[in-house]
Amino acid sequence: MKLLTKTLKSYLIYSSLLLLVTVPLFYFVVKRVLLHSVDKSLKTQLRDIRSNLNANISTADLQVWSRLDKDIHLEKSGTYFNDRIYTRYIKTRENDDDQVPYRQIESCISVNGQYYKLTISTSLVENEDLLASIVLVEALLLVALMSGMLWINRNISRKLWAPFYETLSKIQGYEFNKHASIDLKKTNTTEFMDLNRCLENLLNKNYDTYLVQKEFTENASHELQTPLAIFQSQLELLMQTSPLTEEQAGLINSLETNNKRLARLNRSLLLLTKIENEEYQPTEFIDISELVKKFIQSYQYYSQKKELKIMEEYNDPLMIQANKTLIEILIGNLISNAVRHNIPGGRLWIALQGGVLSIKNSGAEEGLETDKIYQRFYKKGAEKDGLGLGLAIVQRICNISHFSIQYQHPEGMHEFKINFFPVS
Amino acid sequence: MKILIIEDQQELVKNMVRYLNTESYLCEVAPDCETARRKIESFEYDCILLDVTLPDGNGLTLLNELKKDNKTDGVIIISAKNSIYDRIEGLNLGADDYLVKPFHLSELNARISAVIRRRKFSGQKLMTLNELTIDLPGKVVFIYKKKLDLTRKEYDLLLFFVSNKNKVVSKNSIAEHLSGSDMDVFDNLDFIYTHIKNLKRKLTQAGGSDNIKSVYGMGYKFEV
Repeated sequence: MKLLTKTLKSYLIYSSLLLLVTVPLFYFVVKRVLLHSVDKSLKTQLRDIRSNLNANISTADLQVWSRLDKDIHLEKSGTYFNDRIYTRYIKTRENDDDQVPYRQIESCISVNGQYYKLTISTSLVENEDLLASIVLVEALLLVALMSGMLWINRNISRKLWAPFYETLSKIQGYEFNKHASIDLKKTNTTEFMDLNRCLENLLNKNYDTYLVQKEFTENASHELQTPLAIFQSQLELLMQTSPLTEEQAGLINSLETNNKRLARLNRSLLLLTKIENEEYQPTEFIDISELVKKFIQSYQYYSQKKELKIMEEYNDPLMIQANKTLIEILIGNLISNAVRHNIPGGRLWIALQGGVLSIKNSGAEEGLETDKIYQRFYKKGAEKDGLGLGLAIVQRICNISHFSIQYQHPEGMHEFKINFFPVS
Repeated sequence: MKILIIEDQQELVKNMVRYLNTESYLCEVAPDCETARRKIESFEYDCILLDVTLPDGNGLTLLNELKKDNKTDGVIIISAKNSIYDRIEGLNLGADDYLVKPFHLSELNARISAVIRRRKFSGQKLMTLNELTIDLPGKVVFIYKKKLDLTRKEYDLLLFFVSNKNKVVSKNSIAEHLSGSDMDVFDNLDFIYTHIKNLKRKLTQAGGSDNIKSVYGMGYKFEV
């Protein structure tokens, strides 16, 4: 969730709660106040009537008065009772479902020794209408207030956080091997100033470390060449000595094999460093299918020995501008893997179509771990022949040349797909 | 035949000299550019082995100077750098060959003999060794004047053995020689057995002696 959404979400929850609570509360309070004033006026009316009643009034007068004033109703009552006040819903017309609320006060009055029940009514319709309008206006006001606040808040936040987002986008586009120092925009917010400063320090420090490490790898690899060469030459001199026993020969053989492995390892690491240093520039136009055919040819001995069935499909000719050394390593590594890790009597299927080279081979039942195959020194199971650098090199070459590479494991086959013109 | 080794790594030089001395080569050593310049001015060499990184300068600068004096013939560059640009630059400057460290002494020896053969015997096209006669430009081998039908790899293999005659060459060095050092993706050296077996068969069938001896599975020796 975005930062902005997060703050707005809290605000939104708070304001909706406030609205939900305030509007009914307001409704009840206003209703109570209105009712109270209606009651007060009814009581005043009753008091006036009582004080105006005297002995001179006849029963006939009372009946006339009651008939004339619709809000007043009189009827004889047998006993005395205390004043009662209540709300009643009364039908305005007969056969009408529409009921109108009335506030009524019932009181007992005595005229000429006779008790009468006096009922004074007042309609609440106007009051209810008033209440509804007040609540509506109030609700609208609240909604306007809340949304206005939200809007203002969002705008302010957006402005406040702008330097943060700017920094974020700069860091997202940051590549270690490309840039020397990152240029973060100046801001007058202390927190963001601190953030930018810390980030700049961190990145610069990391970049320095990266440079040192890069240099170290390259130097170390170069420095290793000489002792490896000396060791190699001494082994060969040792081979020439006589007498040489079988045991000694075995030891020398093993030493030489391991030394060769060391030399290869060293060369591969150096190659990786060089690729990362972008020492290989895309200089030539290369015919991919020619190159693939060349490698299939050079691994013929092994593929024949394993009795591999090789299928090649070159549907579209493909010429790319790239560095020939790198492309040779790329394709060589993939094809040699496809031959090396194949099973006897297995299949190797190569297709070139629409700028995509697909190399598919049978091999181990189990698929490779997609997230690990490009890691340096990643080896599957007990495999001991490989250096574990081949695919790391392949991936670096793809990255640097802006090709996309994909590994799939369809129907027990291992497939690597290189798209030379990926849509980015 | 005189060889000048321009290389500052004492121990490596010592090993090279020891290996090459058994081949009737006379080796001289120059540990830096200065010494090398003096030696080249005063003597003629059949082959110069030139390291690129030297304590007092770049080997390629030295090569450039040699080129001006038209003396680049027979130069083999020995470099720790395996970059294609260095290789191309070296060869453009007139070097005959380029060898990347670490290398096999047998490979170095084979390259030196190739360079020397090309220079010294430019008129002479045939190389004879007992019953074997090798037509170098035509890449054809005869036994008692009978032509052998060898594949390209078998021919390369035979020449490699002849260059390193009476020396043990390891399987690894044969494999690298046959496949080219760039192709080191296979640890499996099986393929050299096939080539050696076929070569031996063809040599003996043509009436030649079986000179290729296996040395305890470590390598082979071409005994003359």
